[in-house]
Amino acid sequence: MSIKTAKIIFWVGSMISMLILIILTFDSMGQMAVRTKEKNLSEEVVAGKKIFRKYNCNDCHTILGIGGYYAPDLTRVYRRKGAKYIESVIMDPENTLKNSFRKMPKKYAGGYEVTPEEVKKMITFFKWVDGIDTNNWPPQDHKEKTFGGNSFYQNNSAGGTNDLTLLKRKGCIDCHKIRGTGGTYGPALDGVGSRFNLQEIRKIIKEGKGNMPGRDISEENLQTIGNFLIKQKGGQK
Amino acid sequence: MTVFKSQRVSYYYFVLALLLFGLQVLTGLWLAANYAFTIPQGIVDIFHFGTARSFHTNLLVLWLLLGFMGGAYFMIPEETNSELYSPKIAYIQLILLALTGVAALIGFSFGWTQGTPLLEIPPLLDILVVIGALMFLFNIGMTLIKAKERTVISWTLLAGLLFLSLLYLFGHPFYKNLSNEFYWWWWVIHLWVEGAWELITASIMAWIIIKVTGVDRAVVEKWLYIEIGLFLFTGLVGTGHHYYWIGTPEYWYWWGGIFSALEPLPILLMVWDTYTHIKDRKNEIINPVVWTYIIGSAIVHFVGAGIWGFAQTLPQVNYFTHGSQVTVSHGHLAFFGAFVLINLTIFYYAIPKLKGIERFKSTLGLWGFWITNSFMFIMVLAFSAAGILQSYLERKMGLGYMTAQAEMQFWFQVVLVCGIVFFIGTVIIIYDLLSLKENKAEA
Ligand code: HEC
Ligand code: HEC
Ligand code: HEM
Ligand code: HEM
Ligand SMILES: [Fe+2]
Repeated sequence: MSIKTAKIIFWVGSMISMLILIILTFDSMGQMAVRTKEKNLSEEVVAGKKIFRKYNCNDCHTILGIGGYYAPDLTRVYRRKGAKYIESVIMDPENTLKNSFRKMPKKYAGGYEVTPEEVKKMITFFKWVDGIDTNNWPPQDHKEKTFGGNSFYQNNSAGGTNDLTLLKRKGCIDCHKIRGTGGTYGPALDGVGSRFNLQEIRKIIKEGKGNMPGRDISEENLQTIGNFLIKQKGGQK
Repeated sequence: MTVFKSQRVSYYYFVLALLLFGLQVLTGLWLAANYAFTIPQGIVDIFHFGTARSFHTNLLVLWLLLGFMGGAYFMIPEETNSELYSPKIAYIQLILLALTGVAALIGFSFGWTQGTPLLEIPPLLDILVVIGALMFLFNIGMTLIKAKERTVISWTLLAGLLFLSLLYLFGHPFYKNLSNEFYWWWWVIHLWVEGAWELITASIMAWIIIKVTGVDRAVVEKWLYIEIGLFLFTGLVGTGHHYYWIGTPEYWYWWGGIFSALEPLPILLMVWDTYTHIKDRKNEIINPVVWTYIIGSAIVHFVGAGIWGFAQTLPQVNYFTHGSQVTVSHGHLAFFGAFVLINLTIFYYAIPKLKGIERFKSTLGLWGFWITNSFMFIMVLAFSAAGILQSYLERKMGLGYMTAQAEMQFWFQVVLVCGIVFFIGTVIIIYDLLSLKENKAEA
């Protein structure tokens, strides 16, 4: 091969690729306006995004999978945890994460603290982000519909479906302690069977209660968890 | 002995880069400690993980760029057969960039940040960065314009540096839409490491190979053309491997998946052509350390970027590994192989020349090489183990994020231990490079 051929390979190769990238970029911008529901992108959402940037939250947390990997991804935090939890963890991380082995700041670089108005704006931002069509990413927050549109969580019995594992998989222990492990934001579930009947438990899980947001859950799993929880009449509380 | 007097400016770039390298690795240890242990609220409220991470990554980019700039100031006079246009501009630019870097780090500690991952430097300081970059490009550009000789290598180097500077601008407007923001963010991050920086690495590699092996320039430059052509052909559309899940259309599965799956090819070609040139060398091996670093760089570049990158580049895999410790494992090995080792290669080639040393003792240089390489590799395996656990427990089993992290903690402790040994290797390299002496015994 001569240097001339090499030169041609360089120019043709790089220019073709550049052209494709530019064309696809134009097309993507159009589609993204729809996929991100830009019509809902209010001034308040933008303000929330600025606050999210101001405190550098993104260097601990990923959002859309980008950022620091030290703390939970926030793409779907609005549906996963609900507004009240978000407020509580930002305003009072010390108590909300009392039992956690990893902490979130109360004071940010320079000694600044997040104000209640700022939290409201950030929650609006998270709510808007929750609406972005991400092709069902992240998988753990799209249990009913994952990669390619099907779910690999349904009928997935790996690790057992009828015990603690399902509570873990459904994120309940992010907020509730059971048999000594789990979060402290909600009450421990060890004695829950003696406080509620099956009907009430099902209702709490589906519709939420107080600070607990309703859970997006299939009938099959609801049944398994319900049946498991009414049997929990035990002491450890 | 240097050929041109103005090459001396590069020495100060190298020294500063080396010191920042040490500091960068030190901040990495603190990050690993944050993962391995529980840091009490009192400390988190003063200097949290995110601030430390912005130190770690900004220091990385700063020292690598200073190294590249120093490298360019060393190479360009020899390539163009002329003195630099203005050594004075080079010194002012170095001082400007150093002060901007210090201001950025102090700023981060007090909450002065743009808050965008990897691009935390606030807008005001960005202007200084741009001024520094313009001074640099002007200086190199003018040297090229005034010179009589303009080689393929100098053009590639200049093109890489120019491309790098232009791309930086895409990360800085304020985007209202988060998806758009990250779309352009990747034009900086991806098109840097898999585009512009690859051009710079390829040209430095080609140059060093010509210098140490004495093989025919025409052959090396021909391969250089093909490599950078392939880098850009695969890497530009390859940006799409970051456009699977951020609100972008599904066709990126195809464009991103196929083009980025081809990205390892030019890297493999670089390994192959380094190997053949070294085999066909015309010169004897004077300083074995330089040769070790050249070969090491080619191989680790391929393993970290080519293999670790390829492993997670298809959407079927990336769906589970995106934004996990698997990403971190690849980020470390790729940066280390492609850019850290190439920088150390040019340091080991240029610093002896700048000090008028012909033959130096290789003991410490080789120890440093093997310690850093071995422990970087084990550290990357530990990050990978943590990442595979995370992908399985969190993404496949659907456990909560923190529940999965608890299972991964052991591997972060391994990372920390490897990091400590790696840091010792770093100190050896820095010490060795700053105290090189003529080795009379082996001469
Ligand atoms: C030092 C790193 C750090 C910084 C900075 C940080 N967080 Fe966190 N955050 C955490 C950790 C760790 C957790 C999870 C702890 C746990 O659940 O045990 C968390 C949890 C959360 C949660 C709950 C997520 C969930 O799924 O449980 C939200 C919401 C949140 N943070 C928002 C923010 C916002 C908004 C900011 C910026 C104002 C921020 N964080 C800054 C570390 C951080
Ligand atoms: C975001 C945190 C959070 C998550 C996730 C969560 N809960 Fe709750 N849960 C709460 C809080 C807070 C309460 C207390 C509500 C109140 O009484 O104000 C609660 C209450 C309950 C109660 C009533 C217990 C009592 O003693 O009052 C049950 C039962 C329950 N949750 C089950 C579940 C199950 C099952 C899941 C998983 C599918 C789940 N929760 C997920 C926060 C959460
Ligand atoms: C002592 C050695 C080191 C340790 C323990 C270490 C540790 C870490 C940790 C824990 C993170 C944070 C990842 C996260 O957000 O969760 C990180 C980020 C990063 N480090 Fe290091 N590091 C070390 C050395 C290095 C070196 C030598 C390089 C360059 C080759 C490097 C390049 C990076 C990069 C590029 C990131 C950003 C990663 C990403 O976004 O995927 N680090 N490091
Ligand atoms: C020198 C070359 C390279 C370097 C320095 C490098 C570095 C990095 C870094 C630092 C990240 C993390 C960015 C972040 O989210 O913070 C990343 C992500 C990624 N890289 Fe590379 N990379 C290189 C080459 C490659 C190649 C050749 C491939 C594919 C074959 C590749 C595939 C990927 C993929 C798929 C991701 C996204 C991971 C995710 O989804 O989280 N990289 N790279
Ligand atoms: Fe990439």
